[in-house]
Amino acid sequence: MKAAETASTTGQQTWLPRFLTADHPFPWMAPMFAVILAFGIYPLAYSVWLSTQARIPGLRDYKFVGVDNWIKAFADDRFIDSLMVTIQYTLVCLVIQVALGMAIALLLDCERRGYGFLRAMMTLPLVIPPAVTGMMFLLMEDGQFGVLSYYLEEIGLVDPANPILADTSMALWGVMIADIWQWTPFMVLIFLAGLRALPKEPFEAAAIDGASWLQTFRHLTLPMLGKVIAVAVLIRTIDLYRIYDYVFAMTAGGPGTATETLSFYAGRVFGVANFPYAATLSLITLIMLNLICFAFIKAFRVRF
Amino acid sequence: MPGNTARLVLRDVLAWLVVLAFLFPLFWWVLASFKPYTAIFAQPPVYADFEPSVENYEITIAGKSRINLEGGVGGQTGGASSYYSLPSIVDSLIIAIGSTICALSLATLAAYALSRFPMRGKDHLVFFVLAQRMMPPIAVAIPLFFIFRDIGLRDTHLGLIIAHTLINLPLATLLLKSFFDDVPKELDESAMIDGATRFQVFHMIVAPLVKGGLAATGVLCFIFSWTEFLISLQLTTSIRTIPVKITTFVTSTGTEWGLITALGSAALVPSFIFILLVQKHLVRGLTLGSLKD
Repeated sequence: MKAAETASTTGQQTWLPRFLTADHPFPWMAPMFAVILAFGIYPLAYSVWLSTQARIPGLRDYKFVGVDNWIKAFADDRFIDSLMVTIQYTLVCLVIQVALGMAIALLLDCERRGYGFLRAMMTLPLVIPPAVTGMMFLLMEDGQFGVLSYYLEEIGLVDPANPILADTSMALWGVMIADIWQWTPFMVLIFLAGLRALPKEPFEAAAIDGASWLQTFRHLTLPMLGKVIAVAVLIRTIDLYRIYDYVFAMTAGGPGTATETLSFYAGRVFGVANFPYAATLSLITLIMLNLICFAFIKAFRVRF
Repeated sequence: MPGNTARLVLRDVLAWLVVLAFLFPLFWWVLASFKPYTAIFAQPPVYADFEPSVENYEITIAGKSRINLEGGVGGQTGGASSYYSLPSIVDSLIIAIGSTICALSLATLAAYALSRFPMRGKDHLVFFVLAQRMMPPIAVAIPLFFIFRDIGLRDTHLGLIIAHTLINLPLATLLLKSFFDDVPKELDESAMIDGATRFQVFHMIVAPLVKGGLAATGVLCFIFSWTEFLISLQLTTSIRTIPVKITTFVTSTGTEWGLITALGSAALVPSFIFILLVQKHLVRGLTLGSLKD
């Protein structure tokens, strides 16, 4: 019965061109690529078109200006500034998240009672909306009633007259704390998975040879975790480089432009209705990120 | 070995301290949502010395007016409607569930093909999908703002569902591909020798085997949409997802911390439940399927 049904459906399909049958990948992939084309690639082309235009003052219309917006960007101090803020933000957060994440992962990599619970608790920050995390740290870093500000003032690290987020040199750190808090658990989780997948034998051999903990970590653990670290760093880099939510919630780019990142600057330009320039800035961010990731994937042979 | 025991205890203490320190901001946030207005601003910080109240939840979620509530003095007495957030929760749910369903249906088919069919340039195809994940949200929001305005999708649920689907597709596709890769290809081949069609193999044999993976992928898509901020902010004005709604409580006359923390805490409940359910596949999910737990 079943076989007869199957045979008949197969028979019915033969009049179709082969690439339209279920034996060809095309019908399987077409719906997804149609959506990506319509709402991903077409908007991208629209952005590229927009970036070659300029608004005609007084009219709701555009005129073609070629690559003027692109040239303008690289002569724009504020753009260079936001690029520098973004790079600083990305690198500092990456280094701290990897180092802290590794330390906590090593600490929690234990089979004793309670550690499973601790590991699960560490994953909670990952699912908080970043805009909410921003508000969370805004509440804690407030100059007048923030709990974090209070304790930092108590131990003399912060001057009460100079709140963290209002100080040009400290504001970016104030924002980065939120990112580090939310995403260090990401590193912890991934490194823990890496640590648990390591083979036992080399570590037993190292123990017999009397290797110290530090030697074992440097010459065995770290190299064997190479791929895991590379994947984690790649994914964090993507998210760090396009950071927006924390800045929006905590400082709105200020004081001045001290915490203005690329995405935030593009958003701000968009907000004042300079659409072509905003499109140009967002495209530059996109291209840079793709180049960085492509180089990274090639260099570290990350595979998906 | 007493030295060894001491070290284990020390490790336990340290591990608990680190995790508790990490959870402190969360604790402080939820605590603030139960504090009366004055306790939030108390200096030095107040931990237990206050009358806990659910007033903030009543205003944001039940839509009660502050004037009608007992002890409603202090703070702004703005119109309750602007703080009433149940519609935002509904908007967020519609968009998150809708985009999860769309992303899962599209990605399951594509992922099966990527996992099963031999294809020329498959690596390029995978990289193309991955490249979608690198799109800065601002680069998505700017053109979609105009395109959606022209076709009438701006400020609609459908518009945001489409945008969130688009953002979720790379994760869903790559993650599901990795789950399909776990199912041996020989299973498909032997079923097809027995006379099953490709679609029957997918539908009746392989898909049921990756049910857990599908659920985990769905949860991650839901959480992404639930927490997404920039695109929702730029593409909508009357529909407000929760993260956008929360930032509107920061007004020129003051920040409604009690209400912000109440709505913010409520918004965490579904995410926390979901994330604890999919712990097993979390690492794979967060790394787009490239690392298996």
